[in-house]
This record gives sequence, structure tokens and C-alpha cells, in this order.
Amino acid sequence: MSEKAAYFNEREHQICTVARMIEDARTYWVAGGGSPMASILLAKMLYAPNAIYVTEDGVVAPEPSLPLDPLMTMVTSRSSYRALQWGTMNTIGFHAQIGLMDYGILNTLQVDPYGNINSTALGDYAGEHRRFGGPGGADSIAALCWHTILMTDQQARKFVPRVDFISSPGFLDGSEGARERVGLPRGTGPWRVVTPWAVFDYEDRHLRLTGVAPFVTVDQVLAEMSFKPKMAKEIEALETPTEDELALLRTELDQRGQITDVGKPVVRQDDGTYAFVEEQKEKGDLPSSW
Amino acid sequence: MTTVDVLAEGRGEYLKVDPDGFRDWVRENKSRALVPKLMSEKEAVEKLVSDGDYIWYECNYLQRGPASLIREVIRQKKKDLWVGAKFTWVTAALLVGGGCVSKLDVGFFLFGPTVEQAIREGRVTAYEYSNVVMTNRIMAGAMGLPFMPVRSFGGTDGFTHSGAKLINDPYTGEPITIVPALNPDVALIHVHQADVFGNARIFGTGISHQEAAMASKKVIISAEEIIDTEEIRRDPGRTTIPYYVVDAVVHAPFGAYPGEMQGHYTSDVPHVIEVVASTLRGLIPQYLDKYVYGVSSQAEMLDKLVGASRLKDIQGRATIKEGYTA
Repeated sequence: MSEKAAYFNEREHQICTVARMIEDARTYWVAGGGSPMASILLAKMLYAPNAIYVTEDGVVAPEPSLPLDPLMTMVTSRSSYRALQWGTMNTIGFHAQIGLMDYGILNTLQVDPYGNINSTALGDYAGEHRRFGGPGGADSIAALCWHTILMTDQQARKFVPRVDFISSPGFLDGSEGARERVGLPRGTGPWRVVTPWAVFDYEDRHLRLTGVAPFVTVDQVLAEMSFKPKMAKEIEALETPTEDELALLRTELDQRGQITDVGKPVVRQDDGTYAFVEEQKEKGDLPSSW
Repeated sequence: MTTVDVLAEGRGEYLKVDPDGFRDWVRENKSRALVPKLMSEKEAVEKLVSDGDYIWYECNYLQRGPASLIREVIRQKKKDLWVGAKFTWVTAALLVGGGCVSKLDVGFFLFGPTVEQAIREGRVTAYEYSNVVMTNRIMAGAMGLPFMPVRSFGGTDGFTHSGAKLINDPYTGEPITIVPALNPDVALIHVHQADVFGNARIFGTGISHQEAAMASKKVIISAEEIIDTEEIRRDPGRTTIPYYVVDAVVHAPFGAYPGEMQGHYTSDVPHVIEVVASTLRGLIPQYLDKYVYGVSSQAEMLDKLVGASRLKDIQGRATIKEGYTA
């Protein structure tokens, strides 16, 4: 691994964290575009060249011609370039349904302690609510892949005790066998949640905090959750992005800054610890190299 | 005797399931003869899209979809449509903004004030599915079956607001979700090449064009290129849609504009940003005034609002040709 970057943002940190989770020679059904696609592409460039990904427009194992135009992450010549197969949404759905997809990578609006995902409505669906676009491919990814990696923001309004609407299934009510009782394939379900600040896994189908970025504290993470997760015995300090990772992310994957420009910038200070740039500015305490 | 229990069922209205009725329709209405079906976009939409229809489009307004036909549907002010809104980006919002829609079966669409307000005011009712569940439904329709068992969708709140049911599978004894087959009244499909009879070729990846063509009562194909039937016969393996499911063929160069048509032209980035911003900011009426109501046809829009130099530019940017030539 190359040198740790002295300056990055929390979104870049999140993408790099997921990229380092990617296993070589495994299959990933990736939500079309955004952080999930950036994560798998970064992984393929640096860590897992033989990781395979598919998208819901029927594309199997593309070697996309980057960069992609805005929103043009599916059904385009660049996004589907040098694939092994051009199928359809039904063929990809069936590939997942027969058990070919090891992992799914998704992002979402809301998640609850059991990994249920909301991308349909915030508020009371039957009454006052704000409407969103629906599950798209996420319901099938969450139902049919063996493991699901969810990317979302570390915000109290995103981590809620019960999602307002289950668009895509996690462990449902958290009881053993809940997914199987509604016809979902056995042995599947949520596996990791990765935010710009933290990593979670599941213990007995319940979200558990396992790692925290060095630019925030455990308490800061918990303050940005509307429920208390289970806690791992030891909370790991997450690795920050390397110069190599950032160089690829910024020059090849996200040239226009569409994905990463929404994160808060972080800086390494003279004592080797990390802090948010804005807070250090307020304190008048930026590193000498700044 | 094994009985099949319904363990749970959604409360959402769904398009009536009637496989024998669909067979009767096909028997009566799908021409087996090789008859030319070439017509203008105006004539095709006038003849084949009726108020109250269930309408399905393949891909969407930004990605190899029938964008010119969508604009024509809005221009003709079709009403009371039930839209299969899967993998849809701005398409559903444009149709809702044009006042064409009363019901949406949602897989995914780009939300925004226009659709949100229509739903809140009760002008549009949304039923909830996922993209893949919608293409599974259309596959059941294409197979002439009444329903499709699926291993996804169970346990979601979408299930509650859909036409899905959870039953005990009589073969395994395990619970299984079933979803109603979908046989839309009309499907709009944009293709790379077609002959005048409707034998059509799509190069590259897609959503459910073969299933939609088989499952729909009326099928309008728009094609970048009209080719000779001899060319079809020279390489039949490349025919993705056979003539006898097709009711109209429209010659539509740049028919997917502002979206990309793989191998022919890329998306028009400024236009994509304009239509997405219009959707997110509630400015769809202004967008429709300019690009739909402000012109009489696709040809006039390209000529007056887009211009030859932009078209040349997006053609030039489509540098990847592998897989998109016969």
C-alpha cells in the first residue's frame, strides 16, 4: 500500500473502505452508479483485479471505458464496454436468483438495526411523506445476493429504529428465519454497512459497530444514530485513504467530482492524528503544511 | 389433496390478469402476414396509444429509450395512462407532467415535485414493485402465464402495496411470492435496426425488450435505421424481435435523444442535465413547452432546437463501435 494521504474527504474514505473489502474472483451485483460503482472499480484497479461485477441492465463483467457521462452508468457503450455478456434485467435477476451473486453493493436513504432499507418514502407512506424513487434494483440485490454491503451516510435521520418503508429487505423483524418465511432464499442477507465514519457488521441479525474512522470518535458515530447498535468488543481504527487510491479516484473514476465532492474534507495534523478541516479552521489549528 | 394457501397478499390494484383474453387478442389482432407497418410517429401514436392504456417503454428517456415516441405521446395529450415505471429516470415524471398518467407501477423513477404533488393530490396512484419484479411480471406475460413465482420482494412494504401474494408452494411446501403477469396495452421500444415488417435488431445490453414485445397487445418499434428484409435473412441470429409481434414501425433517427444510442451517438450532456434539473426542480412544464409542445415532431425538434452541429458532436463522441455493427 502506498503512503497515507494527508488530505482527503470523508466520502473518499468511505469508497476506499469498501474497495478494500472486495474479494478477488467473487461476483458483485452493483447498484448502477455512485459510490457502489466507484468502490468496485477502485478495488479492481488496486486490490481485486479478478472481482467480477454485474449491473441490472444485463451487463456481465464489463471493463468500462472511463469516465462515464453524467447518469450514463447503464445501457451505454462506455459502461458496458468489453463485457463478457450483454443480457437483460431478467437474465441478471435470474443469475442472482440461482445463487451466482456473492455480494451486492447498494446505497440508500434509511437503514434500521436489522438492515432493512428504505428508498421509497420518508414519513408516513399512508399520510404525509416525502416521496423517493423506489427500490430500483436494490430489492433484488438485497433479496438474492448472498451478502449485502450497504453504503449510507452517518446521520441520525438515516439510522432509524424502524425504516419508514421497507423497500428492500434486511433481516425484517430480526427474528431467525424471518426472510425464509416470506420466500426469500435461505442464507442471504445484510453483511456490512459502511458510512463515511464507520463500519458495521451484524451479530444475531442486529447491526454491530466494528470500526470507526480516525477523524471521529465512537461517541460522534453513536450521536449520529437514532438507535444504539451492538458494539464489537474492540472497535477497530479504520485505515484512511492512500495517495494511490485517491489518485485513481480523482483522475479516473470521479473526474468531475460528482460522487466525492459531497464529503467533508479531512486533514492529517502535525501529530499524525486526523481532523475535519472546517473544525480546525475554526480553532485556527491547521497543520504547518496547509 | 394439496391445497395452496394464500399466506399474505398485497392490497394494490393490478392490471387484470387474463392469459386467455390475451391469446384471443393476439389471434385477432397480430398480423401473421408480412405486411409493411412503416408509419410516422404521429400516426403510430394516434392509432396505437389510447387513453386509459397500460403503457410500457423499454429502457428510458436517457438510455436507449423511445424518447421521440414518449414526446409524441405527451404531445398528443394522451390521458389516464397506467405506466410501467421501472428503470425509468425522468420518463415517468415527464408523462405525469404532461397530464398523461393516472397510475404508476413503480420500479424506480427520478422523484421530484411534479410526481410527488400528483401523488399527494390523488391525481396519480402509485403501486410499488421493483425493477426486476416488473421485468419478471412482463416475462410471465410474454410466456402466456397468469403469474410468476419470484424469490425477491417478500417481506417488503412494497409487497403490501402491490398485486403480489405469498403462497405455500405445493411442490416444496415452502413459502413463495407470486406476482401477477403483465400484458400491457402498448409497448414502445427503440431499436438499432428494423425492416418495414417489424423484424428488429437491438445491439447491446437492455432491460426486457424481447419480453415486452411478446407481452404487449400493441407494439410500436422506433428504429434508428430501416433495413432491407434481405439483410435480416442474411443474419437471423441478430433478430431480437420478430415481425409478428410488432404493430407499427417508425423510422426515428436520433429517436433516443437526448439519451444515448449505443454505437450511434452518446447522450447530449447539457440536455440530460437540463431535463434532470427540470424534474428535480418542478420545471417540467417549461421543459415540455420547449421540447414537446413547441415543435410538431421529432424532425422539427432536431432541426430547430438541437441542430446539426450538436448531433454531429454526439455522433462523434460515440467512439465505441464493437458489438454495435451488423
